[in-house]
Amino acid sequence: MPQPIETPQDGPGPASSPGRGLIRDLLIASAGGLAVLVVGLSAMSLGWIGDKGTDAPATPRAAREAAYFQPPPRSAIPDGPDGEAIRRGEALFMNTPANAAAFTGNSLSCVNCHLDGGRRANASPMWSAWGLYPMFRAKNGRINTMEDRIMGCFTFSMNAQASSSGGPPPAGHDIYRDLQAYMHYLATGAPSGVEMAGGGYPKVDLPSQGYDPRRGAGVYATNCALCHGEDGQGRTNANGQPVFPPLWGPQSYNWGAGMARINTAAAFIKTNMPLGQTGRLSDQEAWDVAAFINSHERPRDPRQTGTVQENARRNHTGGKTFYGKVVDGRLLGGGVR
Amino acid sequence: MDPGAQIYASACSTCHQPNGAGVRGAVPPLGDPAFSDPTVLVAIILRGVEGPVRVGRVTYDGAMPGFSGVLTDAEIAQVASHVSRAWGDGGAPIDSAVVARARAKAAGAGPWKGGQAMAGLSPALAPQPAWTGPAPWAADPAVLTLINEGRGEALACSGCHGPQGQGGDPIPRLSGLPSAYIAAQLDAFASGRRSNDQMSGVARALSPAERQALGDYYGRQSAPSTATPSLGGDRQAGARLALQGDWSRDIPACFACHGPSGFGGGPRLPALAAQQPAYTAAQLAAWASGKRTGDPGNLMGDVARRLSEADRLALADYLAGLPSNPAAARKDRR
Repeated sequence: MPQPIETPQDGPGPASSPGRGLIRDLLIASAGGLAVLVVGLSAMSLGWIGDKGTDAPATPRAAREAAYFQPPPRSAIPDGPDGEAIRRGEALFMNTPANAAAFTGNSLSCVNCHLDGGRRANASPMWSAWGLYPMFRAKNGRINTMEDRIMGCFTFSMNAQASSSGGPPPAGHDIYRDLQAYMHYLATGAPSGVEMAGGGYPKVDLPSQGYDPRRGAGVYATNCALCHGEDGQGRTNANGQPVFPPLWGPQSYNWGAGMARINTAAAFIKTNMPLGQTGRLSDQEAWDVAAFINSHERPRDPRQTGTVQENARRNHTGGKTFYGKVVDGRLLGGGVR
Repeated sequence: MDPGAQIYASACSTCHQPNGAGVRGAVPPLGDPAFSDPTVLVAIILRGVEGPVRVGRVTYDGAMPGFSGVLTDAEIAQVASHVSRAWGDGGAPIDSAVVARARAKAAGAGPWKGGQAMAGLSPALAPQPAWTGPAPWAADPAVLTLINEGRGEALACSGCHGPQGQGGDPIPRLSGLPSAYIAAQLDAFASGRRSNDQMSGVARALSPAERQALGDYYGRQSAPSTATPSLGGDRQAGARLALQGDWSRDIPACFACHGPSGFGGGPRLPALAAQQPAYTAAQLAAWASGKRTGDPGNLMGDVARRLSEADRLALADYLAGLPSNPAAARKDRR
């Protein structure tokens, strides 16, 4: 078999990989007796997919939701300067390219990965992330404040290198104040310094068959292309307004983004895609389609100084990635503009 | 909430965004001084715009629907006052009599064709780009005959769906739905995958090429809305479901897939805005009960099963109160 099939025999990523928060989530969830929430997800969704009762909205879902932290509703945002900052932060979160125009190099918004305005459990909600910072991150080898962390999102997920300013908002910019005001609001009443159930994306173990972008191409065609397009470039309407985000190519996240790691994308996809169909994909399908998506070229990693291989050794050893690897005879990681 | 702010949230915010910032490269921001004149604001809200408009230093080449058919004079005055207060010069509230006069002047005029056409409204607007318009397109006479006269079992479409496919509750609006979607529905009626006594007979009498040609025709129409909220649904609740969904019940926002403002999300994700409400409600019920199937991956069936009867009425009435897709004749960019 040609290259890009990896199996569990390759060994898991290093313990310091950025995915470790997800591992901890799972352990804590089990210890707290909440493992059923994670493990039982697909069974429960199948349960109510099969429920033909049209006037009885899914009670199992409601019961499960209630087990997660509930951020305050939109309607409770206060008036006054605090509320104004929260609303500005929400606008930045929902429509990042328009509200942080000088610092975004693609068409993505925060909400594309943090669903429901950063409220959705298991879609890396902000109410869970807020209380974890400052924290040490292996990605840059230092203590990160929330501002540092958001700067990372601009740098990698929003590909700020292609923006009109050429980089993320400088430290201390009001964009960070407003986004943090919004996150702080979502975390009203949440504990500080602990991993919360529903935080991050629930980790999906590497299945026995590993991952294979060619199998993933079939999964993609069946489950993803309707919205994200056969070519992965998402869709815009006639006005050019984004409807579905691009998954690779110049308008997508760059090679340095967490989502460019196959394990992270698999975790996001398994729980959150297709939208509204939690549990539709098997673990195997989630890994394969994540591999397919992340086997395409995307904007270069802004940390790259020497060759792709050098940067791969320096910055891409945690988690599963095609960065710096040869797939179908092509070295991946060179970047597209 | 201020009634103008409420109208803005449910009818304007999906394109211009809740904070009026617009969408980069696609939808202009609000509050540009040249457009803050009440005359300009009201004229644009009433008629809509098609083609290039310069706002600040950026030219936007898109389409905005006119709201004359879906908002009253008082409502347009309220939303224009809200826009002016929130992002414009914050002048005196706009009176509905101003809107009434502008409406009389605009009667039957259709959307402004590019910025140049409206430049006379205010000297501050100049310079504005000219409208070049889409390439001319003429419907195949044979298709027009099918639509207007029919052929045996293939009853005339216009008899039920109206001359431009605007529909008439509970007969659905076809105007501006994606061509591929219409053709696929006709195929489904013909094969029995979608059931409707009337439409099955019609579709079976049409050749596959004719089904496609009818899709092409209706996909290019942009008839003004004839839908009226009439089911007694809670339109504010409908707006919340359409714009934000209800994730506590695993219901994504309708517009997350059917496009901002419900103007469609691609070849297989039809526009919902301005659809006839009894039709929308009936289809949601059909998806929920399993009577209607065939959506890719059961996406629609799954969501519909999580909606209550009250949700269906709320959504149908909210969508019926939106203007129709102004850009039906324009191709999705991607």
